[in-house]
Amino acid sequence: MACDTYMSDNYIIEMLNITKEFPGIKANDDITLQLKKGEILALLGENGAGKSTLMSVLFGLYKPDFGSIYKNGIEVTINDPNDATALGIGMVHQHFKLVECFTVLDNIILGDEDTKLGFILKKDARKKVQDLMDRYGLHVDLDAKVEDITVGMQQRTEILKMLYRDNEILIFDEPTAVLTPQEIDELMKVMRNLSNEGKSILFISHKLNEIMAIADRVTVLRKGKLVGTVEKNKTTVEELSTLMVGRPVQLEVKKDEAKPGKTVLEVKNITVKNKDKKSAKDLVKDVSFYVREGEIVCIAGIDGNGQTELVQALTGLNPHFSGEIIFKGENYTNKTIRYRNSHGFSHIPEDRHKDGLILDFRLDYNEVLQNYFEDRFVKNGFMKFKEIKEYSDKLIEKYDVRSGQGSDTIVRSMSGGNQQKAIVGREMEREHSLLIAVQPTRGLDVGAIEFIHSEMVKKRDEGDAILIVSLELDEVMNLSDRIYVMYEGEIVGEVNPKEVTIQELGLYMAGAKRNYYGGEVL
Amino acid sequence: MKSNLSKQILASILCIVCGFVVGLIVMLFITITNENLDFSNFLLGIRYLFSGPFSSSSLVTIKRNLGNMIFYIVPLIMTGLSVALAYKTGLFNIGAAGQFLMGSMGSLLVALNIDCSDNRGLGILVWLLAIIVGLICGALWGAIPGIFKAFFDINEVVVCIMTNWIAANIVTWVFSTQSHLINIPEGKSAYLIKTGGLGTFTPTFGLDKLLPNSYIDGGIFIAILIAAFIFVIMSKTKFGFELKACGANKSAARYAGMNEKKNIVFAMAIAGALSAIGGSLYYLNSGIELQYGSVYANLPDYGFNGIPAALLANCDPIGVIFSATFLRYISASGSRLQLAGFNSYIAAVISSVIIYFSGFSRLFLELLSKKKKKDEVLVINDIDVGEKDKIPINDENKEGEK
Repeated sequence: MACDTYMSDNYIIEMLNITKEFPGIKANDDITLQLKKGEILALLGENGAGKSTLMSVLFGLYKPDFGSIYKNGIEVTINDPNDATALGIGMVHQHFKLVECFTVLDNIILGDEDTKLGFILKKDARKKVQDLMDRYGLHVDLDAKVEDITVGMQQRTEILKMLYRDNEILIFDEPTAVLTPQEIDELMKVMRNLSNEGKSILFISHKLNEIMAIADRVTVLRKGKLVGTVEKNKTTVEELSTLMVGRPVQLEVKKDEAKPGKTVLEVKNITVKNKDKKSAKDLVKDVSFYVREGEIVCIAGIDGNGQTELVQALTGLNPHFSGEIIFKGENYTNKTIRYRNSHGFSHIPEDRHKDGLILDFRLDYNEVLQNYFEDRFVKNGFMKFKEIKEYSDKLIEKYDVRSGQGSDTIVRSMSGGNQQKAIVGREMEREHSLLIAVQPTRGLDVGAIEFIHSEMVKKRDEGDAILIVSLELDEVMNLSDRIYVMYEGEIVGEVNPKEVTIQELGLYMAGAKRNYYGGEVL
Repeated sequence: MKSNLSKQILASILCIVCGFVVGLIVMLFITITNENLDFSNFLLGIRYLFSGPFSSSSLVTIKRNLGNMIFYIVPLIMTGLSVALAYKTGLFNIGAAGQFLMGSMGSLLVALNIDCSDNRGLGILVWLLAIIVGLICGALWGAIPGIFKAFFDINEVVVCIMTNWIAANIVTWVFSTQSHLINIPEGKSAYLIKTGGLGTFTPTFGLDKLLPNSYIDGGIFIAILIAAFIFVIMSKTKFGFELKACGANKSAARYAGMNEKKNIVFAMAIAGALSAIGGSLYYLNSGIELQYGSVYANLPDYGFNGIPAALLANCDPIGVIFSATFLRYISASGSRLQLAGFNSYIAAVISSVIIYFSGFSRLFLELLSKKKKKDEVLVINDIDVGEKDKIPINDENKEGEK
């Protein structure tokens, strides 16, 4: 019987020697993870390190090839998510699984409704949820529809869903990836409350600052293998990043003073009207700015302040706007997307799944998505697949795009970070003089971020004009030579990153400070 | 990619097997519940079902059956290609029936109004002209749902269904005595004369000598050539690449500077032309006549059977040749079930069950790759890519789009 019960000190969940192999890759190789009761354990690793696979094993989505799982010292088998729920394991997925047209309350009780004669006992449910909200300081409007509430609130709904089911072990899969800085702070508080109340939390992330802020211990994975588990108090950000990437990482961007040249992009009085007639507010309001060659300009701002719409106007994705776009002295206002992309623009889109990639296409087809029509890839209307593959292979190597079968891989099967690297590679290597990048490092780990940032600086030094829209303040402060801040569709500030503090930048972002009026700093 | 192809073929075969199993269960059920039938009828039925055109003991009959079967495959290949091409572009072409009719109409208006009974050489030129006119009619007809879809964002299925019935009514009127668009000899009210007597029928390339007394003509060669042509277009050319890109992700295609509106209209026009050629090749046979009176009430089932033909082949143009052959084989065998004592409607039910099961190819493919696919999706996924629509940050994007 000794093999059935494995006694150890206070571990609520133990995953021992988990091995899981997929065709072409060993996603988990002999990984052991132990979660203590009431602690916050961070699971740290690069994209593709095997974090999600390990959690999928715990959540019953995969069966491990080898290894065992214990709860409170007793061996358990988890065949599907229902088993996991029965064991008190709950998960907040990175992309929420909510019914958008249902209310928050309906979403919370969905699938676990108490009924009497076929009627749902909503009153009892509401009381239980209300108690939970009070206890953990997690307030959400229960009668609002999910589609109407913010991302942060949606995430709270997901957390309440787990609590409603009395889960003791809560898995958070990269919960901060979709949140604004303020929402992240709120989430951290909630997580701390949860752990104080005795819940055990597994926190999957590759953001070192967050891990240092919240975790008790950190388990680090690298390329499917366990690197080790360290106490938070006995480690540093530098050590963690070295453990994760396998080499020391430059956390600060290294760059010389920018030497800006001629103006490349000039934007004059761009206004994007709101399609919804009821709302009179313009999405983008009279925005004017410029970008010169050899400089990196960042547009900072809280998500949803018109950045998306501005970029759509610039890149031609949305042709319905007023104002002028001048590119190297040529009027680009009414040019087609194809013309812009083949005459100087490169664009890393905000949404890689919707715009950036054709997920069901092979990787090499995706790598030529913006230049497949060029003579080197087409002859008499026929595609030159060999040349396409060679071109793609080069990009894959340079940008370290990891995938099961190289150029032959169907992009849908790749991890988000590697998909992003594929896009970044495609857009940076294409001939261009202006790079418009929206959240270029979204979902990437420190190693990849370091690489992409240094490539961007290199492109800048070669004379590229680079316009970055980013929600990450660190990225904005680190990378840019000039910063514009957007608030409610307007550019309200132009600041120099060397002279401004994060706090001051925050004031601009919140609309409390302004120095920019109609294209001029006053 | 190789294993992918074999998986697709396996899925199609599984469909067929399941169709047969369910078909046989239906047959068995009918045998048991019908007092006029006994187990020997059931066994005979199975024999007819599998042996198809080869069920006769006379070589002459077998040759005739085979020739007819091959002839009837032609329109099915063409409508199958039509559905498959539209599907690859992300469109569901349920309008193949209407396009088929418009093609038939265009071709017959040419072929029946020019009498070339004295000069077969001229007749073949007229035939070629008839095919081209039919093709243009079908392409224009197919473009209509494409235009509505591209410029007004109206679902192509809705427009296709409406254009189907409009086509049926137009064709009925055109060939009726009221339109005076065609010479209808006396005594021919609901039927039209055949192209056979006018010398404007499809050349047979000697196939009629090989399989005498059947409808067979050179249409099969034309259909196979067109299938190969579509295969090359879709898998080798820039145009095909763009069509597939639009089908797989419209917004990414737009982001990449492709003109997705143009591609949608083109894809539907080509799909329409393909269906139309099917109709033309069918009615330009020397022995087939258009029963226009019935078109008003029944759309030709070739249009709709193009859907299972395409789905069974997983929308692969070459695969369509084989799936069309199979479907026709089953229909031909099904009609022979009557010889085993089954009511003709029951016979139709059994063959239909098998045919419509073949539409489930996609389901089987998914089942086959389910476990593997699930693995693939999450293999090295630190960010779940399966839920592409749920990334909240995109919601603003979508609103902006609309």
